[in-house]
Amino acid sequence: MTVHWNRVVRRDVLRGGAALAITGFGIRRSYAAERPTVVNSIRSLTNPYHATWNQGGQAFAKSVGADYVTLVTEGDSEKGIADIRAILIKTGGNMVLNVDPNDAPDARPIVEACAKAGAFVVTQWNKPADLNPWDHDPNHVAHISFDGLRYGEETANLLVKAIGGTGGIVALGGILSNTPAIERKAGLEKALAANPNVKLLDFQVADWQSTKAYDTTRAWITRFGDQVKGIWAANDDMGVGALEALRAEGLAGKVPITGIDGIKTAVEAVRAGEFAGTVSWDPYWQGSMGLSIAYHAKMGMIDAAKEPKLHRAFYGTGIVVSKDNAEAFYQSNIVAPPKVDFNDLWSRVSGPLRA
Amino acid sequence: MVGRRLRAAIPVLVLVGLGGLIATQNGMFLQPGNLVRVASAASIPLVLALGATFVILLGSIDLSVEGVMAVGSVALSLLVRNDGSTADWGLVAVVPVLLAGATIGALNGLLHVGFRIPSFMVTLGTWFAGVGLATVLLGGGTVRVTDPSIRGLALDRWLGFPLIVWVALLALFVAWVIQTYTRTGRYIYAIGGGEDLAALSGVPVARVKVATFALAGTFYALGGVMAAAQLGQGNAVIGEGRLFTTITAVVVGGSALSGGEGGVLNTFVGVLVVAVLANGLVLLGVSPYWQQTVQGAMIVVAVALSVERKRARIVK
Repeated sequence: MTVHWNRVVRRDVLRGGAALAITGFGIRRSYAAERPTVVNSIRSLTNPYHATWNQGGQAFAKSVGADYVTLVTEGDSEKGIADIRAILIKTGGNMVLNVDPNDAPDARPIVEACAKAGAFVVTQWNKPADLNPWDHDPNHVAHISFDGLRYGEETANLLVKAIGGTGGIVALGGILSNTPAIERKAGLEKALAANPNVKLLDFQVADWQSTKAYDTTRAWITRFGDQVKGIWAANDDMGVGALEALRAEGLAGKVPITGIDGIKTAVEAVRAGEFAGTVSWDPYWQGSMGLSIAYHAKMGMIDAAKEPKLHRAFYGTGIVVSKDNAEAFYQSNIVAPPKVDFNDLWSRVSGPLRA
Repeated sequence: MVGRRLRAAIPVLVLVGLGGLIATQNGMFLQPGNLVRVASAASIPLVLALGATFVILLGSIDLSVEGVMAVGSVALSLLVRNDGSTADWGLVAVVPVLLAGATIGALNGLLHVGFRIPSFMVTLGTWFAGVGLATVLLGGGTVRVTDPSIRGLALDRWLGFPLIVWVALLALFVAWVIQTYTRTGRYIYAIGGGEDLAALSGVPVARVKVATFALAGTFYALGGVMAAAQLGQGNAVIGEGRLFTTITAVVVGGSALSGGEGGVLNTFVGVLVVAVLANGLVLLGVSPYWQQTVQGAMIVVAVALSVERKRARIVK
């Protein structure tokens, strides 16, 4: 009797437990079906650019009440892809991903894994030329990049204007094998070709780093002295390094500098008249809008397959910051967090990607 | 292979030869203004390399340079007048920053000695931990140093040289005194020359090792302070690329990676070689990638010259 009673109890307990487990699981599933997890995958949080990107992602996730996850590759493609696969399994594919792939070839396995799991993905900056979002309808919603050629040229033109259209300049480039470094340099060269009175005295690579830019700039001062009328840098970090090198020689504000990225220090330097300009990609927009576009597709608010190709693979719009708008930009983007309308998906589409 | 006396003179000969070669190609190299710039470019690498010298004299290696620099620069930036926090400690802030560097260094030493983990692994770990800690402190951002006393280190001059150069020379003097006139200094050589023998002779090996790593950490933190002063900011990646130059400078100066041979004056020459090369290649209009190639080649050659291969039975 006792044995029998025990059995019953045990069976009931087991059954009840199973029922509980199923119910619990079911609740979670149905909750999840309404609220996909939103995921940003970026290089690291050690740089201001991706830190701001992450803030944008947090703000978007909060606005829709979704769980937010940040994955960092730490410059390791293997880790980046493996982490994305892991979160796809964890969420059962019920997620949207906004990814800045560590390297162009990584985009393909990432997109394929998302398509297979049914997740929706927006890629930014890096993808192989022959990978198009419409190859994976509807899961690869869009690819966003920024036109390095155009903005390399625009900042070079700001510099040309700042030195009065004539004289010698020097230029600091990023790591030579990086696509943005190549494109921005091409933009500089285009501007120089249009301004024959401006002479490029030397082009040196400083690997995107302010420290290297600092030492290079000081050696330039020896080599060229006051022939250097302006300094073009392929990113703001190098521009800031050059600025501090000038400051150590008492030349800050006398030799204009341009950068690209729109980091806080650079915008402050534009305000102070030490930088002639920079371009902001608005990483806050990148971190939030990439998620929002994928989220709209996931929730059926847009049908990626029916969107025009211009909405699927496009250059975003950078904000050129020069002395004319530096103060306003500083107040609205740096003092206060930028205001982004998460439902305004396409207003910053500036053109199709160049092949 | 190469006579002992000649081997000791090689770094100096390389420096003189290199300087001469650059001067013949570009007369501006020897202008006082440029020599000041070379000195200022050499000051941070010198301070970092002095710290590494002691560890290398032990026969160990220290890869935590960039991590400690990151913590040092970020901590300093947050303690002095800046645009991220309300602190305003001025130059006093350097003291806790150096203590933090010493603590990280001591931790390196304790883990290395206490758990018998190779210094290579321990310091690799603290490198990344340091960068991570600096990232957490700032949330990935950059903080601008507006404190005039700190910025003055890079911007103000005395006798024509930026103060940062004098700080580096003072650090060199301190390191030289430690190496030459203290018991710890002598023990470091003893341990590097033969740890077993040193232990049998009553040298407190564990204690000396921990002290050495702590000393190295202090120097790296000072390097972080100087970098923050120079670039006017603190961030987690401020040390990026410094490890390579540091080890190059120590080895090119003629200190043996196997320990026990060389010293801070060798490192002084090694740093000058690296700084003159970097300056010279820009003056000559050579791409920095060649600079990296030449530096890499120099390490190999320097190591090749510093090893008595006849005596080395096993090469790992």
